Amino acid sequence: MATVDARSPVEELLIRGGTLPVAAAHGARTYFADERVPRGERHVRVCTGTGCFAATGGRHVVDAEAALGVGIDRCAADGSVSLQSARCLGYCYASPAALDDDAPLAGATLLEQLVHRSERVDPPVPVAAVGPPVVLRGILGREPAWQVWPTVLTRTDGADHVLREVGIAGLRGRGGAGFATARKWAAVARTDDHGPRFVVANGDEGDPGSFADRMLMERDPGRVLEGLALAGLACGATAGYVYVRSEYPRAFATMHRAVDAARAAGHLGTDIHGSGLDFDVEVVSGHGSYVAGEETSLLRSIAGLRGTVRVRPPYPTRHGLLGRPTAVNNVETLAAVPAILADGGAAYARLGRGEETGTLVVCLNARFAKPGAYEVELGTPLRVLVEEVGGGLDGGATLRALQVGGPLGGFLAPSRLDLPLLDSSLSEAGVALGHGSLVAIDDGVSRDDLLRHLWQFGADESCGACTPCREGTRRGAADPVAVAADDALLDLMTDASLCAFGRRLPAAIRSLTAVPSWS
Amino acid sequence: MELRVDDCDVEVPDGCSVLDATRLTAAAVPTLCHDDRVGSAGVCRACLVVADGAVVAACTTPATAGMEVRTDDPDVAAQVRLVLELTAERLPATALDRPSELTALCERFGIGPTAFGGARGLGRDESHPYFALDRDLCIACGRCVQMCDEVQGTFALTLAGRGADTVVAPGGGAWLDSACVSCGGCVDSCPTGALAERTTATATTTTRTTCGYCGVGCSLDVHVADDDVVSITPARDGPVNRGHACVKGRFAHGFVRSAERLTTPLVRRDGELRPASWPEALEHVARELGRIRSAYGPDAIAAISSARATNEENYLMQKLVRTVIGTNNVDNCSRICHAPSAAGLTAAFGLSGGTNPADDIERADLFLLAGTNATEAHPVVGARIKQQVLRGARLVVVDPRRTELAALADLHLQVRPGSNVAVFNGLARLLLEDGTADQDFMAARSEGLEELRVVLAGYPPERVEEISGVPAGLLREAARLYGTSDLPAIYYGLGVTEHAHGTDGVRTLSNLAILRGAVGTPSGGGVNPLRGQNNVQGASDMGALPDLLPGYQRVLDDDARRRVGDVWGATLPERPGLRIPDMFTGALDGRVRALYVMGEDIAQTDPNSSHVRAAIEACELVVSQEIFLSETARLADVVLPAASYLEKDGTFVNFDRRFQRVRPALTPPDGARTDFEILLEVAEALGGDLGVSTPAQAMAECAEVAPLYAGISHERLDREGALPWPCRSADDPGEARLYATAFATPSGRARLAAVDWLPPGEQPDSEYPYVLITGRRLAHYNSGTMTRRTPNRDLVGHELLDLHPDDLARLGLRDGDETEVTSRRGSVVVRVHATDALVPGEAFIAFHFPDVAANLLTSEVVDAATSCPEYKVTAVNIRPAI
Repeated sequence: MATVDARSPVEELLIRGGTLPVAAAHGARTYFADERVPRGERHVRVCTGTGCFAATGGRHVVDAEAALGVGIDRCAADGSVSLQSARCLGYCYASPAALDDDAPLAGATLLEQLVHRSERVDPPVPVAAVGPPVVLRGILGREPAWQVWPTVLTRTDGADHVLREVGIAGLRGRGGAGFATARKWAAVARTDDHGPRFVVANGDEGDPGSFADRMLMERDPGRVLEGLALAGLACGATAGYVYVRSEYPRAFATMHRAVDAARAAGHLGTDIHGSGLDFDVEVVSGHGSYVAGEETSLLRSIAGLRGTVRVRPPYPTRHGLLGRPTAVNNVETLAAVPAILADGGAAYARLGRGEETGTLVVCLNARFAKPGAYEVELGTPLRVLVEEVGGGLDGGATLRALQVGGPLGGFLAPSRLDLPLLDSSLSEAGVALGHGSLVAIDDGVSRDDLLRHLWQFGADESCGACTPCREGTRRGAADPVAVAADDALLDLMTDASLCAFGRRLPAAIRSLTAVPSWS
Repeated sequence: MELRVDDCDVEVPDGCSVLDATRLTAAAVPTLCHDDRVGSAGVCRACLVVADGAVVAACTTPATAGMEVRTDDPDVAAQVRLVLELTAERLPATALDRPSELTALCERFGIGPTAFGGARGLGRDESHPYFALDRDLCIACGRCVQMCDEVQGTFALTLAGRGADTVVAPGGGAWLDSACVSCGGCVDSCPTGALAERTTATATTTTRTTCGYCGVGCSLDVHVADDDVVSITPARDGPVNRGHACVKGRFAHGFVRSAERLTTPLVRRDGELRPASWPEALEHVARELGRIRSAYGPDAIAAISSARATNEENYLMQKLVRTVIGTNNVDNCSRICHAPSAAGLTAAFGLSGGTNPADDIERADLFLLAGTNATEAHPVVGARIKQQVLRGARLVVVDPRRTELAALADLHLQVRPGSNVAVFNGLARLLLEDGTADQDFMAARSEGLEELRVVLAGYPPERVEEISGVPAGLLREAARLYGTSDLPAIYYGLGVTEHAHGTDGVRTLSNLAILRGAVGTPSGGGVNPLRGQNNVQGASDMGALPDLLPGYQRVLDDDARRRVGDVWGATLPERPGLRIPDMFTGALDGRVRALYVMGEDIAQTDPNSSHVRAAIEACELVVSQEIFLSETARLADVVLPAASYLEKDGTFVNFDRRFQRVRPALTPPDGARTDFEILLEVAEALGGDLGVSTPAQAMAECAEVAPLYAGISHERLDREGALPWPCRSADDPGEARLYATAFATPSGRARLAAVDWLPPGEQPDSEYPYVLITGRRLAHYNSGTMTRRTPNRDLVGHELLDLHPDDLARLGLRDGDETEVTSRRGSVVVRVHATDALVPGEAFIAFHFPDVAANLLTSEVVDAATSCPEYKVTAVNIRPAI
């Protein structure tokens, strides 16, 4: 009888120091969007994420094609320019947005900027904390990074101390799955063999509508690294990776510089601060895939393999990067760790509500009057976020639907804003908190447009590993409205898809069809 | 643990899946992406069941104690049906044209052609000679990729594209240009026919038999229609191959219906081979053998038996020679490959065979591979070793070439050809120095340590480095790995035996396992030769040897000779006979007048071919029993058309001493006869009676005369499957792992060998400055008579000389240029292939192609103990061909 434990010999080969087989490299090349789209001398990535879609109904994409004289995901015949669609560049607060090579452009004058008839605009994220900041401490100028790490290293029980305080804090993953962080680290720490273990910062903030991680990586990268180092200590890992999606070229650069600076300051490397501990970090870039945010996909992507998901269990805590025990944590989760250790886990646990402790950086899109990133306590009512923090909709427009937690989160009717910002409450209402983005939808797009947008997103980003998601999203993209009512297919996707992508998409579709139509 | 499936209690071991549990009941849970040979990917989602109230994929859900599983939920059945519909609607209805796992499921769920869509127009890859890829039929289940990765270990395949565009690809180019080694695992596993063999016929019968290529002993199912092979597939329950095969066993069967098959006896008249009737040919053979025996005595006749023929045929051949002709002049080609193994392993441990079963490969945590390019010469065992290494076992490779496994190794000891004994002695010394030798084992179960210590004094790592070129530090590290692993296993090949001191190589290699207590113990992976030909172990087991009777009973042992003679009703000749090389020199000096060769192409495969040809010319009678007009047959006086392994009934013994059944899937071509039949007829023509008339009877008689095989019979093999020897009675399961309590030496102890390194017989000099190594390549087998008559020729169509790029530059050659390779005995012209798998100054060539007759170059230097030729060291000169 076969055991359920699937092997990955190609990862076994790589961890022995073997080179990536030619076929595997081809598989990866043909998988990732960045490699599939031909490149011209000038490469423009135009945002097709939900924030920008909500802002223009997709007109900015058509306009960009016309302005640049090249179709989407095509290269001009003379090779001068290529245009690629990118599902969210993290400029949802200033939509629409594009990347001109690696330079961000955003705002109502996007077209003019693209054809050099207007000044380039690269607006910073408006950022604030509603209460005392935890994650945003560095960005709001309260406390620089790397304060905790040297002192933790002086303790003989450093690893246990980190595990204990993070456990007391009740910190849960902020990437959407909400798994208890200390439990994850303990699982890796418990591994009893002597091979390498890894910690990974998941900077693949793929949810259209979210930009908190981009902001953290660009503006306080040291805090992310410090959290990663503390995770490494807790897990007994000697190597860490920061995986930054390719749509965030600036975050990639700032993380790189922050690693160099941390090494120079003695926070990373060998025998760190005389503790005898070795820990170093490598920053790696994604290649264009939403599903890469899923941890098994992300780890395969780091290894140079196709970013498809694999069945869990085994979980990455046992079978992670190159088959070795690995803790994968979202950037925002890691950024909370230094403050937890500075203040003690109990202080963090006092924030939030019930088991959902602490804060969340909520992202509001450009249809709000006051778009931006706001650190708020978990449990804050959505109405407060929409009406007070966000200041209602821009120009007095009417809110028709509120997307929560990205494409896998779901949509709420305006009548449901009394729900608190808690995963438990939102789940009961059929949506998921996800990474904490709120995208306001007004009359600029219709419900059917949104359905089409969502199904197309599903079909384009499905990794293709499992039948229900691969074929279900294909059918959905072909006939969005009818398939949104095909309960048998939606149930199959929900019950039988391999990962959260295929399992959650039907709920998001259903939540949208449950919102009263507004056109 | 216990759980319930559809109200039925079942018990499964820990780690099993829900799917495993359902298979213990009548439930037939549908699967598409599942193959027992690989891990469960759980991607097709056709195996949905309800487990403890949740819909799960049975294949990837661990069974847990007390779990309640339902496979008969109608809602879930509807979901499975939807999975199949979603799958079918992407495929053209041509998917239904050829039976597959998919078509079976469609039929079961009532999904007909209307559920299918149109062709996606993804195209076909027709580049491979044996199979094609129809991308439109691919459902992206990934089984082919998993077979390539998890069973074969070649990593030639990938899924390419994303989402609904996902389809299998052999990298970015055509299949034939990929890393594919044509093992057929992908084709075998494909559930839709996207990957399918080119054959279109439908088989009417299937015969389980044992592969006739190499000594691994793969179980194969031969699918036949109209007395021709439709396809050959590996048996999932094959004890050694476990559902795997290689390009030779799986695909290279076309030779069997080649128009070049011999179908009529040939007799040389007026200098030319002319067709003759069987009675004429047999009468000619009998008359000439009779005449020569009368004129010169029985010892003027010599026979070479065949490592490709069955045990029963070998048994018959040696019995014919010993009883009807009356001489011990019978030998087989193990003489020119693994005679040093037979001698060395017998001397060290007591029995003439490997010590451990192949099953131990998956227990080993370290492999010491010496002189074996297993992934090419023994592909299925090579693949199993590679997988175990990928799973984490350490690997030390001793080889002059950077073979596939050497490239994967933790340590590659890239030895100079001919320096093995120094390296093994150096390792032995380090085991003792490091204290990793097993003192208790040595004290209780070995002998000869003191003498060994004296010799080892002369092998400090620095001296070993001088002799072998292996850096002293690397040698130390290798000793540390072998010395500190929990279950170290030694596998070796002809790179150890085919040397002037090959037996010393086997002995000194065996020393390492003895010092470590890694043989005859639960933590011992032992010492295991990878035997070259399919039945080279068996040919020797059957007594086709000049000094040994069946079951390794010595000719010089009066009791044994009498005992065997009593069963045979004959008085056996007392004096051991001639070894193969001595037969050739005997022919040249007049002692041998007749040479009877069964299924060996000595003119191509034996060293110093000019010498062999001269010996053949010198004989008054040369008989060649063959399936093709081989180089030897061309020179023979009588050629008798024989049958191939696909047409025979009998048994083979593989490299780990397993008797396995060989069953006829085809009838021989009209006019050809099995070697068994021919030998019976020759005996009869000579007025003798071999006392048996069927292979089963021959095996039964062999069991009677040889205590080692007393429990072996066709009837038992048919009933129980493979049996290893020793198997001493009808209820003895056989001894797969040897020497659990005592060694089979006279003292019961393993014998350490205190032998010094001696230089090889051939030395390079200024005139012949390169060292040439000969060996095999994956796509071809031995003299190539079989594989060259199959589409394997489209995979590798000619021989190339492997040479380091530095040497090419020095010689002013470019990759692919023709060169002339000259040794002290002859020369060949061959195109050169640049590779840094060799060090400068060394070259490699195979002997599969008669137009590049490698053995014109090799020398008549032989192993001092066993007369095995020194194929691995030939001094040559290389220059651009004019």
